Amino acid sequence: MKITTDGGLALDADRAPLSRFLKPKWSWIGNVLLLVYALLTLYPLVWLFISSFKTNQEFFGKPFALPTTWNFDNYKRAWEIADLGTAFVNSVIVTVSSIVLTLFLGTLTAYILSRLEFRFKGVLMSLFVIGMLIPIHSTLVPLFIMMNKIGILDTYASLILPYAAFELPVAIFVVAAYLTSVPKDLEEAAMIDGNGYWGTFFRIIMPLAVPAMATVFILGFLRFWNDFAFALVFINDQSLKTLPLSLSIFSDGYGTDYSLTTAAMAIAVIPTIIVYLIFQEQIMKGMVAGSVKG
Amino acid sequence: MTISGRLRTFIIIGLLPALLIYSVFVLIPIFWSAYYGFFSWKGIGASTFIGFDNYAEALRDPIFWRALKNNLIIVVASIGGQLPIALVLSLILRKSTLFQRFVRSAVFMPMVVASVVIGMIWGYIYHPQIGILNFILDTVGLESWIRDWLGDPGINMYSVSVPVIWANIGPYLILFISAIQNISSEIEDAAKIDGAVGGKWLYLIVIPMIWDTIKVAIVLCISGSLKAFDLIFVMTGGGPAQSTELLATYMYNNTFEVFRYGYGSAVSTLIIVISMILVLGSQLLMRRK
Repeated sequence: MKITTDGGLALDADRAPLSRFLKPKWSWIGNVLLLVYALLTLYPLVWLFISSFKTNQEFFGKPFALPTTWNFDNYKRAWEIADLGTAFVNSVIVTVSSIVLTLFLGTLTAYILSRLEFRFKGVLMSLFVIGMLIPIHSTLVPLFIMMNKIGILDTYASLILPYAAFELPVAIFVVAAYLTSVPKDLEEAAMIDGNGYWGTFFRIIMPLAVPAMATVFILGFLRFWNDFAFALVFINDQSLKTLPLSLSIFSDGYGTDYSLTTAAMAIAVIPTIIVYLIFQEQIMKGMVAGSVKG
Repeated sequence: MTISGRLRTFIIIGLLPALLIYSVFVLIPIFWSAYYGFFSWKGIGASTFIGFDNYAEALRDPIFWRALKNNLIIVVASIGGQLPIALVLSLILRKSTLFQRFVRSAVFMPMVVASVVIGMIWGYIYHPQIGILNFILDTVGLESWIRDWLGDPGINMYSVSVPVIWANIGPYLILFISAIQNISSEIEDAAKIDGAVGGKWLYLIVIPMIWDTIKVAIVLCISGSLKAFDLIFVMTGGGPAQSTELLATYMYNNTFEVFRYGYGSAVSTLIIVISMILVLGSQLLMRRK
């Protein structure tokens, strides 16, 4: 068994991986190349932030230089003109609601499908797998038609419900995989103590599943916060636009005001990057687990 | 009630909300779109039944096939770009030093950035007049390489593939790292003793042992790249002149812009079918190896 030193990735097992390819005294070349690669990969994002502080002339004239003055003004203007405050609030409302819905239903379903025995278990599991294989934009048209008929187009619900629905398979798989490591005796003990199934679920299972739920939370946050396709098709009302949607429309209208647009993009990206920097390990493992389990 | 009766009630009530939402918003639309494909509908008023006309029209439209070809270009670019880079990096980035954590973190970061933003950033990078790509080429004296990266139909699909690759290497890197860690240490030691280094180690030990993971990665890569929409929609909208049209943008442009919901439904159904074929096909191909 590998000793896991980094949250399951079993790093450090191979003490000097580069030495397999390069003689040790040349391995510094490998590290330099890695550094260059990492910096190149980061550069577009770095460029975005640097540009967001420039004036338009600086943007055109010296795309690589650092700005002469750090114009926070761009951010203020972007916030006001693009009404990013409203977009922000909308994104928060939609994202949080979708996450809550996904977490609750996902955990409950995961518990039932992974710990209880009944006839259609396998069928239901496969049903949820299918959802992970469909390209979601191919449901845009039928969902649009259907939600139009029901009359929930252009509302928060038009985003929250599909978001949760499409994230359910991932949520179920992540939580179910985690729950398999919970000993059966706990449930039996809870039942003997007089808890019904619901009591057991709320008082025993849910608290235990918190680590898995945290992963689902993060995966859901990233997916809902960044979604564009659904918002594009289902939302028309200006006051309901989420961040990605606002951004894309904004860049169309203010095509040549790059200082403004880059500032707006930076505003949209900062929350996810902050969340990423704090929860890196969990995000990395979660994304892999979520896509592989299916 | 008997115990099993209570259990049954719990299961049914517990599963009901999830199944309801899932069926209504995920499963039913799949079939609904096939059904609507048989109609011609402007969105208001009545719809007319026109049989397979929509499907036939889509399959006869050269732009549809162009879109499919473009999707395949992205699939190939993804598999050929994301997986090898991830594999090579995973062989080296397996320590928990600060430096390595930084590199892994940097490689993974684009995954959390909204694809809209990625599309816009690269749209700026590729801008023919003020984009930094052409600026760099100009500065180092490679003016002959300057192009209209997103406007030239001969190369824009390839330009568009670069951000797709750039943004999506992350999960495969982590996937491969875990897989390599699972190669038992006895095999590792035996290999070291036998002098298996570098290329030999890679071909004879690592790749066969993580082949299953590679298969999974390929399937994920295919289904992932078929989902490409936001990025390209924001960068080019499918143009110019449908040269970067993808199945998804084709569907969008022919439905919501022109109010042909029946046609859009038919195209959506075709997209689902094509995705299924590609994913299943790749599974079968992998099985033989």
